[in-house]
Amino acid sequence: MKRWTTILGRGGTTLIAISLALLIVSFIPQTQSSSSKGSMPIRAGQFSVMFSPGTITPQQEVQVNITVKGTLTIYLLEINARAQFMNGTFGYEFNLTDLQELLKEHPEQIPLEHEVENSGYKLNYTPSKIMNATVAVYNNASETATLEFDMALKSSLAPGDKVRTIAYFAAPIGVIMAVPWLLSGWKQRKNKLA
Amino acid sequence: MGKGKPFLEVLASAIHEDFRFPFLELFAFLYMLGAFALANFSVSLYSQVSTNEAVAYVVTTSLIGFSLLFFLILVFKNIAYGLGSELEKGIIQTYFSYPLKRWAILTAKLLSGIGVSLLLFLGIQISAFYILAPDIVSTQLSTIMLTYAANLSFPLIISGIILLLTLQLGRGGIGLVVGIMLYLGMSIASQIALLVAQATESALGVQIISMFSPNYALQYHYRALVGASSSLWNPTLSETMLYIGGSYAIVAALFILGYIYFSRRLNL
Repeated sequence: MKRWTTILGRGGTTLIAISLALLIVSFIPQTQSSSSKGSMPIRAGQFSVMFSPGTITPQQEVQVNITVKGTLTIYLLEINARAQFMNGTFGYEFNLTDLQELLKEHPEQIPLEHEVENSGYKLNYTPSKIMNATVAVYNNASETATLEFDMALKSSLAPGDKVRTIAYFAAPIGVIMAVPWLLSGWKQRKNKLA
Repeated sequence: MGKGKPFLEVLASAIHEDFRFPFLELFAFLYMLGAFALANFSVSLYSQVSTNEAVAYVVTTSLIGFSLLFFLILVFKNIAYGLGSELEKGIIQTYFSYPLKRWAILTAKLLSGIGVSLLLFLGIQISAFYILAPDIVSTQLSTIMLTYAANLSFPLIISGIILLLTLQLGRGGIGLVVGIMLYLGMSIASQIALLVAQATESALGVQIISMFSPNYALQYHYRALVGASSSLWNPTLSETMLYIGGSYAIVAALFILGYIYFSRRLNL
């Protein structure tokens, strides 16, 4: 019985130590790698690439904060929409035809699709592998929509929310496992002193 | 009474000695913190990494990095200091009165000193990697395990040498110093071998080093961080596996020698 208490107790204190490390990691602030901010009208039937940070890693997070007047569909695409000069202007070579092809042929390359109507929308996306990322919007409605956007690519040691959640679950389990062992150790010490 | 119970008795006692509070907790904390602090996915973006296996290899190598030093400290402490002091204090002699073969006593000591440390190291590192990139871990687990196998073989060779020295001398101090010197010496030797290989355009030096530390063969196989010298040697995966197998044969030979010495020659 005493041996099991010790094994569980040491397992518990180890779990607490791991949780502590995870908590420290989750509270290390993020650094901003790139960003895009502004507002623009999106005409009916218009498609626009809003933010293309290129290749992102599991230690990076795409943060999107938009407010829409009208109706817009926002896409997070697993592609690298390279910007280049086209017809004298600097723009993305990825267009609506490409999006429609992607929707039809490779839906697995669209990790996120969300329709926003006269409201705000927040997205924090951390990939689970190394991948390309592009944020795009498409106005499928018959009226022009206005879009206010604030998008950024943040780097960190680990996805903070995920790591913090694991720590919040693991630490109480560790405490429950460790308490009987700590109490028996405390009682033993008390008996020795007495 | 079966033989299982005395074995568990010795194992429990060994674990209690090797991982006194708060050693286990401290190392678990350092492994977890180190895994996140050292994991570097951006390395795979800048180096000439093209395949998924190579990405898994490069990230795993970055993850192992400095944490391997903590693992070495723990294993060296357990073998040289743990086993050494028990030999000096006569605790091992007490174990000989148990209804157990000598090899079973050594197995219990090694399971505690190396096995538990290895479980802690691999368990925490792979869990941390899975938290970061579940898609990479689930699809490339074999590459990740191969990278760990390649990186851990040299530390295990040194552990075998420390074990032999500790058993021979009856104390761990000299074994510990020799182990540290060997580990640092290998870093220097590998750099020299790399330079000589580049200068002479012959991979022989690196191939010899790879027999003991096959992570160099794996590095050349994935051509990740070798830059211009990758044209020097391009081992196939089966060749790399051969180097890993060879180094583990050395590990096995050293530990078998340790067992033979402990079972037949050790006079206490």
